[in-house]
Amino acid sequence: MRADIFFAMHRHEGRLEPELCEAYVSFLKLVDGFSLKTGKIHVDFGKINKIHQHERPYMDQPAVITNFLGGHGLVGEGANLSYLLPLPFFLQLDAGAWQIPAHEHEPEETGVTGLTGTDGSPIGEILVPGECGNEFGFGNEAATARIWSSFSLGNMSELEFGLSGAKGNGSHYTHHQDEAEVSGADITLKFWPSTFKRIISQNEFLKLKRTVPVGELNRQGFYCYLGYQANKYWETGVRYDSAENAFPVLEETNSVSLVVTNKLTETTKIRLQYAHSLETDINTGYLQLVFGIGPHTHPLQ
Amino acid sequence: MEKSKICLILLTISLFASSTYAKNKLSAVTATADLADFVRNIGGDKVEVVSLSVGNQDLHAVEPRPSMVMKVKKAGLLVRVGMDIDLWMQGVIEASRNKNVMRDAKGYLDASLNIHKLEVPEGKIDASMGDIHIYGNPHYLYGPENAAPILKAIKSKLSELSPENKEYFQENCNEYSGRLGNKINEWKAKMEPFKGMKIVTYHNSWPYFAKMFDLKVAGCIEPKPGIPPSPAHINDLVEKMRSENVKTIIIEPYYNVSVAESIAKKAGAKVVVLPPSVGGVKGVDTYIDLFDYNVNKLVESLR
Repeated sequence: MRADIFFAMHRHEGRLEPELCEAYVSFLKLVDGFSLKTGKIHVDFGKINKIHQHERPYMDQPAVITNFLGGHGLVGEGANLSYLLPLPFFLQLDAGAWQIPAHEHEPEETGVTGLTGTDGSPIGEILVPGECGNEFGFGNEAATARIWSSFSLGNMSELEFGLSGAKGNGSHYTHHQDEAEVSGADITLKFWPSTFKRIISQNEFLKLKRTVPVGELNRQGFYCYLGYQANKYWETGVRYDSAENAFPVLEETNSVSLVVTNKLTETTKIRLQYAHSLETDINTGYLQLVFGIGPHTHPLQ
Repeated sequence: MEKSKICLILLTISLFASSTYAKNKLSAVTATADLADFVRNIGGDKVEVVSLSVGNQDLHAVEPRPSMVMKVKKAGLLVRVGMDIDLWMQGVIEASRNKNVMRDAKGYLDASLNIHKLEVPEGKIDASMGDIHIYGNPHYLYGPENAAPILKAIKSKLSELSPENKEYFQENCNEYSGRLGNKINEWKAKMEPFKGMKIVTYHNSWPYFAKMFDLKVAGCIEPKPGIPPSPAHINDLVEKMRSENVKTIIIEPYYNVSVAESIAKKAGAKVVVLPPSVGGVKGVDTYIDLFDYNVNKLVESLR
């Protein structure tokens, strides 16, 4: 059995607040092939969702993850059961049940707006909150599942792919009675030409189906990341994001991000990231410093 | 009976026998190719062993892969280097759900348990010291004199897991220990003329090697473990090498050899690239091969 706790300081509405990122207990020695994790967890959905921000090869979160799963991704309180199938290759099944805090709405922000189908034709009218930004997600109860496989293509390369699904109440369920389903496919190819060189291609495609009493809304999005680690100290990457929003008025965002990371030590790195929005022509720069006090383990990603 | 039928029957029996025999072998997985070689020499034909890393990898930077999980999943024995240098294995072990090789389980062995550790930090330890290892310098496999307690631990563990082969493992351990002991004497004899000689290394990974052969590590290209050298540090190092007559820089092949060569040129020294582990260069297939190669290459350079 093992317990892990991760704290963070996050900015919410202009204020820096402490936050419990994850806190869970892992039961590693269940019946053959099974393990259980319970607590507050970054859910095993897709590839990037469960990876902590400081471990990701870029600073921000791909737009499709924010738009469909929330600003912090899919994080819930509950349990995840994993099963490593008794096969000669890696194939793992995950199933989880979660309680997720829903978004809160100010009462005076409620209003009515038209719901349109994916072809732009009107479906009806629904109650909506005020400006919620671009993030959607799950609220109250949700169930998730993932199947994940990986093959070694030789000593120097590995191919992973997975399918994920999540179903539950939408994060605005209180006002909209919306049920949400998100399904995803991910594929990652890694190649290590030498000890410190690495090429990685990581891609995820997500679909959202949001069902409200008056109709159904379908959205999709994806990201593609190509990274190159040149040596022990330097890594670069480029990511393309394309994501539709989760709201009745369809909006699509496309952006390209360039990332350069300098690993100062094994646990400390500094990162520069530049993002360009193809719709708005807005350019954004990020500077990230990840400061590690000592080496630590991470679950297999 | 026709000859062809006899051959077919014999072939079937041999296939069945070999598959049954293979099934009776203990499956072992190790963090490094060096440890795999130890297990192979002691386990003989009773053990099948595989290493999760290869000889040209920096153990600090091995990226765990799902395919490694399958090797650990079926293992009856897992041998780690320990001392926090192979933390990447932890995620693999947990993902395997193999109770038999989890920490403190019957099939789990930390090879560092009984070795004499060098450079165990004392006092305050913080990030200003670079990527320091709090349990001491973990590169103990660079010093063959550390092999004795490791071999004994592997022999004991194999005997515990496969008690019917206890005598076999003991014989193998005695034979290999004797052979390695003779080679250690041979290597020491070759390095005798260079006792007290000062060297510089890229990373602080050679203290056990240096201690065994009575070499003095005058400095490292990394100012602190894991920190790349700054121009100021390189200048200081070159000055030190000149003033202390340091003529040799030892570096593993996966580090920046061109930086070492640049320093060597300024300081009037030579760079010697030595593989850190079994399989690190072609033809180095065993732990004894590794130090045959490293000692011979170093001797050739120091002359």
